Amino acid sequence: MSNPLADMEKPDVIFAIGTNMTECHPVAATRLKKALRRGATMIVADPRRIPLAEIADIYLPLRVGTDVALLLGMAHVIEREGLCDRAFIEARTEDAEAFFEHVRQFTPEWAETICGVPAADIERAALLYGRAERGAIYYTLGITEHICGVDNVQSLCNLALMTGNIGREGTGINPMRGQNNIQGAGDAGGLPNNFPGFLPVTDPDNARRFSELYGREIEPVKGITKVRALELAAEGKLHAMIIAGENTLVSDPDRAHCQHALENLDHLVVIDIFLTETAELADVVLPASAWAETDGVFTNTERRIQRVRAAVPAQGQAKPEWWIVAQIGQRMGAPGFEWHSAQDVFDELCSVSPIYAGVDWEKAGTGKYHWPVPEQGHPGTPRLHEDEFPSPSGKGKFMRVGYRDPAEVVSEQFPVWLTTGRRLQHYHTRTMTGRAGMHFFVPQEVLEVHPDDVARWGLTDGGKCRMVGSRGAVELRVEATDRSPRGTVFCSFSFGDVPVNVLTGAGYDPVTETAELKVCPVRLEPV
Amino acid sequence: MPTPTDDELIQRWRSEPAPLLPLLHAFHDRDGHLTDDALRAVAKGLRMPLADLFGTVTFYHHFARTPPGQRAPRVCDGPVCRLRGCDALLRALPDATPMPCAGRCDAPIPVLRGAELLVGTTAGGAFGAQGDERGWPPPEAFLRLEPSPLPPPYPGAAGDGSGECVFAEIRTPGRATLAGYRATGGYEALTAARSPSEIIDVITQSGLAGRGGAGFPTGRKWQAVADAPGDPKTIVCNADEGEPGCFKDRALMDHDPHALIEGMAIAARATGATRGFIYLRYEYPDTMVILERAIAEAKTAGLLDGFALCVRRGAGAYVCGEETSLLNSLEGKHPFPRNRPPYPVTHGYEDKPTVVNNVETLCAVAPILRHGATWYRTLGLGDHAGTKVISLSGDVVRPGNYEVPIGLPLRTLLDEWAGGPGPGRSVQAVTMAGLSGGLLGAERLDVTLDEPCLRSHGSFLGAGGIMVFDDTRDMVAVAHEAMAFFAHESCGKCFPCRIGTQRLSERLSPGPGGSGPTELDPWTTEVVDIGDAMKATSACGLGTAAPLITDSLLKYFPEQVARHLAARKA
Amino acid sequence: MNQPIQTPAPSTLAAVMEMDGQEVSFTPGETIYEVSQRMGRQVPTLCYDDRLDPFGGCRLCVVEVEGLRNPVASCTTKATPGMKVHTKTPTLERHRKTLLELVVSENPKATIDPLRGSASQELVQLRTRYGVTGERFAGHHSGQSRTDDANPFILRDYDQCISCYRCVRVCAEQEGDYAISVRGRGFETKITTEFDGLLQDSACTFCGQCVQTCPTGALADRKAMRAQADPEPIAATRSVCPYCGVGCSVDLLSKGDKLVGIRPARDGGANLGALCVKGQFAFDFVQHEDRLRTPLVRGDDGTLRPASWDEALDRAAAGFAKALHDHGRHSTYAIASGRAPHESAYAIQKLIRATSGTNYVDNCSRA
Repeated sequence: MSNPLADMEKPDVIFAIGTNMTECHPVAATRLKKALRRGATMIVADPRRIPLAEIADIYLPLRVGTDVALLLGMAHVIEREGLCDRAFIEARTEDAEAFFEHVRQFTPEWAETICGVPAADIERAALLYGRAERGAIYYTLGITEHICGVDNVQSLCNLALMTGNIGREGTGINPMRGQNNIQGAGDAGGLPNNFPGFLPVTDPDNARRFSELYGREIEPVKGITKVRALELAAEGKLHAMIIAGENTLVSDPDRAHCQHALENLDHLVVIDIFLTETAELADVVLPASAWAETDGVFTNTERRIQRVRAAVPAQGQAKPEWWIVAQIGQRMGAPGFEWHSAQDVFDELCSVSPIYAGVDWEKAGTGKYHWPVPEQGHPGTPRLHEDEFPSPSGKGKFMRVGYRDPAEVVSEQFPVWLTTGRRLQHYHTRTMTGRAGMHFFVPQEVLEVHPDDVARWGLTDGGKCRMVGSRGAVELRVEATDRSPRGTVFCSFSFGDVPVNVLTGAGYDPVTETAELKVCPVRLEPV
Repeated sequence: MPTPTDDELIQRWRSEPAPLLPLLHAFHDRDGHLTDDALRAVAKGLRMPLADLFGTVTFYHHFARTPPGQRAPRVCDGPVCRLRGCDALLRALPDATPMPCAGRCDAPIPVLRGAELLVGTTAGGAFGAQGDERGWPPPEAFLRLEPSPLPPPYPGAAGDGSGECVFAEIRTPGRATLAGYRATGGYEALTAARSPSEIIDVITQSGLAGRGGAGFPTGRKWQAVADAPGDPKTIVCNADEGEPGCFKDRALMDHDPHALIEGMAIAARATGATRGFIYLRYEYPDTMVILERAIAEAKTAGLLDGFALCVRRGAGAYVCGEETSLLNSLEGKHPFPRNRPPYPVTHGYEDKPTVVNNVETLCAVAPILRHGATWYRTLGLGDHAGTKVISLSGDVVRPGNYEVPIGLPLRTLLDEWAGGPGPGRSVQAVTMAGLSGGLLGAERLDVTLDEPCLRSHGSFLGAGGIMVFDDTRDMVAVAHEAMAFFAHESCGKCFPCRIGTQRLSERLSPGPGGSGPTELDPWTTEVVDIGDAMKATSACGLGTAAPLITDSLLKYFPEQVARHLAARKA
Repeated sequence: MNQPIQTPAPSTLAAVMEMDGQEVSFTPGETIYEVSQRMGRQVPTLCYDDRLDPFGGCRLCVVEVEGLRNPVASCTTKATPGMKVHTKTPTLERHRKTLLELVVSENPKATIDPLRGSASQELVQLRTRYGVTGERFAGHHSGQSRTDDANPFILRDYDQCISCYRCVRVCAEQEGDYAISVRGRGFETKITTEFDGLLQDSACTFCGQCVQTCPTGALADRKAMRAQADPEPIAATRSVCPYCGVGCSVDLLSKGDKLVGIRPARDGGANLGALCVKGQFAFDFVQHEDRLRTPLVRGDDGTLRPASWDEALDRAAAGFAKALHDHGRHSTYAIASGRAPHESAYAIQKLIRATSGTNYVDNCSRA
């Protein structure tokens, strides 16, 4: 997030797109609701009539995967109506004129033909955001899990740059991170393109420095993403893999491919707290101590660095993950794995990461620091981009993006859009919530289908249906609900008996290699 | 006319000002009660949380959630109607339930049934209090439609009506129509070319003060709203005459509706307000018709240009007579009183500057502007300015509304104007301010009707309801009914009132509902402690006034309290 | 019933007032109660939660203001320049005791298990402080516990309810769910939901905020209450919720070696005392019987069998060493967890970089 969570109570116009926030980030959503209570207005764009849509002032029910078209239409209106923040554009951005020229061709009427949102509503939304004193954008995986995820994000950045809604209190571009420490995993260097602290691996200075620190020459070449790694594994070109705390088999797209890839490895080591579907494929399974048994650090979606602490002893022989990995490192004869505590590991991270240079174990314990914290004594950075953007010129660059269809589109054979996501009471593949009484709320997965479509496809409310895609099929119960629009259905990927990711996986964003989990053409058959 | 659908009702009201209450009434009138589906439709249509709506609906006495609901008779069991046999009427009418004082204490017992207000009595028939219900005739035999009574002829010394302000022309035939109102000088004050500051000056100089009971100077209130930043400004007429024993506003609205409308239009001009509401109590359905007809006439005549005036009907909640509860109710919120400051003059309806005035106050405005500030001031006796309408009821020969000069001796009103308690009887006690001012015993009937005098005796004039109890009445029973009323009407927001009214009521109860000590000393200590805490800490006037009942009971009728406890013990 | 408008104090004076004879400056907009807290006065209250709009329901916080006939609720009254306030006079203390006696006359239970919720001891503590025995003001009780609501998370023990509306207000003002409402009025006031139904049939999302603000334990944490009979003392350990990326601060409640409950941290920077249903109630997985308790290695028969740490770690290391040896540096890969702490991700990226010299590491953010 460019802005802290506290800023969520301060916008006068909220634009939430591709985020089912009340279910996926419920506590963040409470802050938006406080802004609404204070008189803010909200635009919600989502294919589904999610709870946030019910409290929106303008709801834009776009077709799945057409965010770029909607956002181009909005940019067109903002430019046409002269709602651009000229002073901001002049001082803080580049390539504005070319962008304005670009958007002049994309009228709301054009956008309507693609995204299905009435042009008049696109106009209203654009005027509202364009006239905002403090306009803030919030998004989640509904924006990024597309083959055009980067284009989607850049389209949102364009809106913020046009209107100067960034770098100030109550504004910003605010992606909500989905997992408790997904931000921290990146901060700590769990990325193929960056060392800890987001230092590019291709910078020879960085490569040299980490080679020295780690006692092994590290090639200044980008690694591969998980997506590519699974492809290589499937092709027999990758031989050993270690997976920490992820049920890859269930959470990743195209399950059949994933299973084949993991089984094709010579050596798979899984560290987890449960024997997950993924762990069952491993050669070695190492029991980790769980949350509430482990000391460590998490960084949240607003880059706030916070400590977690052990309250109870680990179950059985379970050990902290850092200890397990360090043992493997030592047994492979690598230097630098002689840590005695989580503090040792974290303090080493702080010593190598420029954005953590000003924090340490003790300071993380206060929970008050948002990175970057570039040196000791620095108060942290709750709000990014107040003075400059992280580009070579320090300016925000307008990007001319165009609309592309999803990797697969509906056809006679697969006439229905499937989109997937989470539900409030469950989390990911239910390794945790499935063992915590949450079945009280949601005992099984259901497919949310518009009542008209239930009739159209010969289904029955509460009955079973078979959902077929080009890569596989699953069976699950049908719930007739107008939360789903006509022509689009929804289910979560949380339930092992409805492995919906056997269907997904048609394509990946070319830049980030993020899978298009939000769009998948299917057909529905009664069972 | 076909029955309107949910959607049609919502479309009809959703864009109107203060839409919740009229929309709920529309469903209530259509179905006879508010179904779950109706509430879902309203919540969705007005975009309000369903749980809030459910809670708010259950707050009001008259919103029914189950059949027969609104179709069943509701019989007034206020203090005066109890004296007149409401219990027999309740037994005589199938499905009948009691309702708190419905504001017709000068007429037969009021009964609400469907959208109608009827009056009825079993007195004089073959069905006395002990009668056999099975052989009783159908309800129509003792229920009838009847317009509310006019005030009795002015009995004051002058005899020519010159002592009256708001009642001076009310008895003139045709006064309730626009033509009749104009024929007696109506709308002259509104159409006279006066600037806002001139209007406020005259009202200020006249000494007119809030006739709903608070007594705040009207001119000062208007000036505060005129000066307050924020638009649009609003004039709200408090016509939620919920105080038991008060029925003066009903008489004014039924027989002189244009006087109120003119007063509101003048207030709007004086303050710059562009919208107005008359918040009318639920129990006055005929008055609703009269007001809406009169507003339509005035609108057509171009008298209300720039001032959007409408009537909103309450749904049965005494606390909505408290001005901030009233504003919450208008806005569709839970009708709890608001915390003050800020006051309505700066943060009223929709948090914008708002005048809230009582009906009687507003009705006095046009006469004052026509006859001048001095004329009004001198209507009062001695140092007191102006007049006050007293709703007099109970054990007197001629109950009714009397406009008295402020400062009039109570004895004059009781004995000379109203004919006294009747042959062979003496007055044992009167209530003041309806019930809120507590009781005055026989030895205190020498008071004059003005706030300084009454406050010096621990009471107050308030809205001007006086109920008379002769020497045959059980004053502990009267006090218990009064306290049960307050407990029934306590909104439940603040602890002292919510629990205190209940505990006091239990201590006054003669029957199985009673609790508390049966020895006089501990009983008295408990009652006094509760009352003191309520008076000192309650959040609004309901909780601070209710203990005046027990205070005055202990002061004037200690031997009746002792008898009550002796009976409880036995 | 209208009350006269009070003339506001002249605003020309400096923002200084007097509290119990002591001069104190204040920030315009501050309430008397807030000033009293800064001054260390222990003004009692039951309906106050500093995150909520001032309500003025319990009236325990009334104070005397010189020049005003009646005491005012300090939580709803703003400090004004020159105001002279008394927070603890014999009269006030007498009224406060009466009010508490009235409350207790409805809520006779003298002890409440602290596992019920963060604020559950507030009434019990005031009872003790004012020496309220519960002997006076006997009468009817208005509370009706919802024994029919068998949800395993939130106990609705309304026999303990004092109608302070903190649950109603926290649900509306903090959570924004507007699930809790109040039915009826006066003494018959009942805390409820739409149509008096069960919580799971209402707009309730089981975030637990009502439980944590309830001053009597009428709304209570049923999961934590499972450990009521355990004899060990309750320990609280500050941590962060393990679910989404918001990073809500929590206190982990434990008795001995057992994790018994979760409390939202009021001073948590990300959540300010809020949680969702997962953060509040979904913690049983930690000590679930399905937990992996020993290392496992795949045996010659193809199935996973328990092994010692030494054996398992040697196997793990050997497999990577062999791959590197046989197939070169681009043959090994690591996926870091987005769920485990930094130290896990840091260690695992270092493992790959330090043993293979490649950047063959990723985390689970792409799916």
